[in-house]
Amino acid sequence: MVTREEERKSAGTGKLPIVMPGILDIPADGGQPSLLGGSCPSCGVRYFPRPSRCRRCLGPVEESSVGAEGTVCSFTVIRIRAPLGLPEPYAIGYVDLKESGLRVFCLLDPQAVETFRIGTPVRLAVGALGRDARGAPCLRPYFTPSVPGPGGVA
Amino acid sequence: MGAACVAGVGMIPFGKHVERTLVDMGSEAAYLALEDAGIEPGRVGLGVFACAAAPRLLGEMTSGQNIFWEVGIHRIPILNVENACTSGSTGFVLACNAIAAGQVDVALVVGAEKLCVPGVGLLNSGETELDTRLGMVTPAGFAMRAARYIHKFGASAAQLASVAVKNRGHAVLNPYAHFREAVTLEDVLSSPMVADPLTRMQCCPMSDGAAAVVLCSREEARRRRRTVGVKAAILCTGSYDNPVDLDRWETDYRGCAQGYEAAGIGPEDLHVVECHDAFTIAEILHYEALGLCGPGEGANLAVRGETRFGGRIPVNVSGGLIGRGHPPGATGLAQVHEIVTQLRGEAGGRQVRNAKAGLAHCMGGDKDGDTKSFTMIVLAC
Repeated sequence: MVTREEERKSAGTGKLPIVMPGILDIPADGGQPSLLGGSCPSCGVRYFPRPSRCRRCLGPVEESSVGAEGTVCSFTVIRIRAPLGLPEPYAIGYVDLKESGLRVFCLLDPQAVETFRIGTPVRLAVGALGRDARGAPCLRPYFTPSVPGPGGVA
Repeated sequence: MGAACVAGVGMIPFGKHVERTLVDMGSEAAYLALEDAGIEPGRVGLGVFACAAAPRLLGEMTSGQNIFWEVGIHRIPILNVENACTSGSTGFVLACNAIAAGQVDVALVVGAEKLCVPGVGLLNSGETELDTRLGMVTPAGFAMRAARYIHKFGASAAQLASVAVKNRGHAVLNPYAHFREAVTLEDVLSSPMVADPLTRMQCCPMSDGAAAVVLCSREEARRRRRTVGVKAAILCTGSYDNPVDLDRWETDYRGCAQGYEAAGIGPEDLHVVECHDAFTIAEILHYEALGLCGPGEGANLAVRGETRFGGRIPVNVSGGLIGRGHPPGATGLAQVHEIVTQLRGEAGGRQVRNAKAGLAHCMGGDKDGDTKSFTMIVLAC
């Protein structure tokens, strides 16, 4: 079992590839990672993940962080055969990000699958989770309860 | 709208047809529809073949030309269409448009699917999408809407499950259904959990099967009997704006409003409905989008029995996706098959009395928390 601290370190050293390039800002000093998306300099529309063009004006989209903290809007626990070598069971959800107001789909902490509720405050973490399209281990982002315990209440 | 009529329908029983090929199933449904319409192959001016997943699973392309030639149709324009679960109904819309444009008098739409292929897991919306790489699977999108619905309206797991009991009960009456045994509320609730709060029996099965519809112009229909008029056949796509509405599908409301407007009727004018009950929560949300009840009232509507066979507005009398089964390429046309059979008064033991108007509602695929495709087909005699 890889501890969160070890996961964080391995994420920081970048030994494993990220499940999709360009979606994560992982500080080299082991600081709080955040989701990397985009924002359109002329429309102000924010995106995650970053598209090659703004969907509104078709202009270029600049890379920008869309946040690391938010609350669970909805979630589910998948209890059947997991795809991509993900843990069984695994949890996923939509998170409303504080910083950008975006509602993003993401994995939820596999070590806390039973604790999520609608409204649970969460923050981003990155760890070795499952395998990539070629079957190799890779890093995936996931949201973990900001406060340990069911529903984020310690 | 209103230029096209259904002249004939055909389908094969849905289920696990491991020994049958896509061409074999599709061409049998095509033959049955031509025979039902009493139309010779040479009169068909346009062929549309709809299929969602099988071409990718089997590595086949342009199966339509193979299927149509099996029933003697060649030389004419043939389209191969993929639009996830609305593939079949999308083909129907295309054929209606061609007839409305005066391009052809007769069109044949065939939908077939083969999902029972060894090693196939859950379907997703494409492995290059970030959602898919982060573990999104089809039941999850519905499960997350169910969680929101329960949170917002206080609906119970048993209320959701009652939709599966109803549709599996209906399927007992349908010789084309994948499942023919009734289930109890306890069966549904105690079946294995797939994605909280949806248990296995609240999810439609992955089925093989085929269905076909012959469409003709209104002028051609005047020379025929047992035709059913197409009041509206519309297709639309999701909006994908962020934040997406997870309490309902915005597309569902927008599409239903478009469909009713095109048909010139409202929900109060319907006698029978087939909707896209891929999962129990979906049928409840579709009741609300279709205006069969108000927002938040769908779960109660299901429990009160108003959507059951014999109720105020029977929904999915065929068994729906949950009972009849779900071969995505064929589903949209199987829905049309059911409504046409009901409006003709030929549904036997599951005949809805005095059914004069009905609709087939379908949604397909998932993108950014919304649907990829939506179709609504309104039929009346």
